[in-house]
Amino acid sequence: MARLGNSNNRLDGTVLIVCAVLSVIALVLPAQVRQPIASGLRRSVLAPFLSLQKRAEGSRRALEGHDAVIDQRDSVSIRAMSVSALAAENTRLRDLLGLGSRLKWGFVPAEALHGRGSQDEFGVTLSAGSRAGVVKLSPVVAPEGLVGVVDNVDPSISHAMVWTHPDFRVSAMSEDASAFGIVQAHLESGPGRYLLEMRGVPFRTSIRRGTLIVSSGLGGVYPRGIPIGRVLGETKTAESWARTYLIRPAVFPADVYAVMVLLPDRASAGVDNVWAVGAISDSSVRKIVIAGDSLARSAALAEATARQAAQDSATRDSLRKAGVPESLIVPPVAPAPPIRRPAVRSDTTRRDTTHTAAVKHALPARDSAAVSHAP
Amino acid sequence: MTLSGSVRAVITFAVLVLLHFTLRPLLGWRASIDFLLLAVLTAAVRVRPAGAAAIGFIVGMVGDSLAPDSLGAGALAMLLVAYLASWLKAVFFADSLPLNAMFFFVGKWLFDIIYFIAEHHLTGIDLVQQLFLWSPLSAAATAIAGVLVLLVMRPLFEPSSA
Repeated sequence: MARLGNSNNRLDGTVLIVCAVLSVIALVLPAQVRQPIASGLRRSVLAPFLSLQKRAEGSRRALEGHDAVIDQRDSVSIRAMSVSALAAENTRLRDLLGLGSRLKWGFVPAEALHGRGSQDEFGVTLSAGSRAGVVKLSPVVAPEGLVGVVDNVDPSISHAMVWTHPDFRVSAMSEDASAFGIVQAHLESGPGRYLLEMRGVPFRTSIRRGTLIVSSGLGGVYPRGIPIGRVLGETKTAESWARTYLIRPAVFPADVYAVMVLLPDRASAGVDNVWAVGAISDSSVRKIVIAGDSLARSAALAEATARQAAQDSATRDSLRKAGVPESLIVPPVAPAPPIRRPAVRSDTTRRDTTHTAAVKHALPARDSAAVSHAP
Repeated sequence: MTLSGSVRAVITFAVLVLLHFTLRPLLGWRASIDFLLLAVLTAAVRVRPAGAAAIGFIVGMVGDSLAPDSLGAGALAMLLVAYLASWLKAVFFADSLPLNAMFFFVGKWLFDIIYFIAEHHLTGIDLVQQLFLWSPLSAAATAIAGVLVLLVMRPLFEPSSA
């Protein structure tokens, strides 16, 4: 029994020593020998376990990344929500840059600081003052059109009366200068409060819905050609001698955060063609279309003339063959030159010019009178 | 050891090896639980020291194959710990969870000491930090896991009434 125990102990010791020696040999083996042994074990015994380990680690990474993914998704959602506002602001700033490049000189860019009070819907504070050259009665414009007029100037800031003010007046005309009037806020409660009205339009003159109304330049405060709004329709008033039109304003002061203040020199020099880019391109497109039509018409006319000449020639030949005397045969007529109508009616041009000039002389300085009542 | 006892021991061993390759990477702790060592220890106390040494050597070599630069270090550490565990099986068989936890703790810590010294990769302050900070933490985690395994698998470890 004791011998069995001794042999077992000897066996235990032998196995321990053999395993320990093998382990030490494995430790001191060169890398070229160790690598194949390790690789063989990994590919055979360990392969299924390594597959399990890979999946477990993948699961852990997914769990760890879950919160980060959620955070990232939330951030993206928040950013996506602000994208439309940023895009709108970007567009507004681009428009403002475009307006600045078209004005070229004589303006001061300013931020419109909106107040919180109930009376603040009638005015805005501008971040530019007399140090920047702003003076009282300087027109305040935005890329879309007229915003208001400066009514109070401090060295570093100023205050502008916007068109919603009950005392605001601007002498205006239709884009084609066929109708003139005075634009002011539509003093009505309800949604119509944020519209303009054009008063004093002569009864014989009617303005179509959608017509652009611009400042007429009469009165000396606002230069000619600043968009004010578009005609929505005629509204009935007690005045039977003149028409009054409702106008949808081009600019809503509450949405304006950056404006341009026109300096006196610029205002007196005029802002012709600054807001006329759309009109110019429209008229260019119209002219190109008309020119194309003219070419097509000329080609069709030439073809018809040639066909007519061929028919006439055949008729004359048959008459000659039939023995009709040469004197009775009508000689061929030279084709008439194509009638070309001018792309723009000359009478329209003449009428506009005449009308504008006539009205300019006839009407007094109207918007200045209105503005002089401003506080 | 009876046949049923052997089967139970093999099942326990297989479960612990599976946990080593599934639960341990899932937890991803810096002080990780060494389920392989638990498997070797639970097997070692059921066999003779020679068998325990062989089991430790084989499991250690397989584990070392994942780090070929230290091939043999894990095998050496594992076989020594397994041999000692089998030699001290009388203590192990004591039905005391704190004592078993202590043995798992000491076994893991001893394994790490032998492994990191034999591996010869860590030196100086890194070795000290590993042996006296991370290894005890890992040993504690292993001991707690070992106790939980003993609690869960107690029916398997109890001798059959038949």
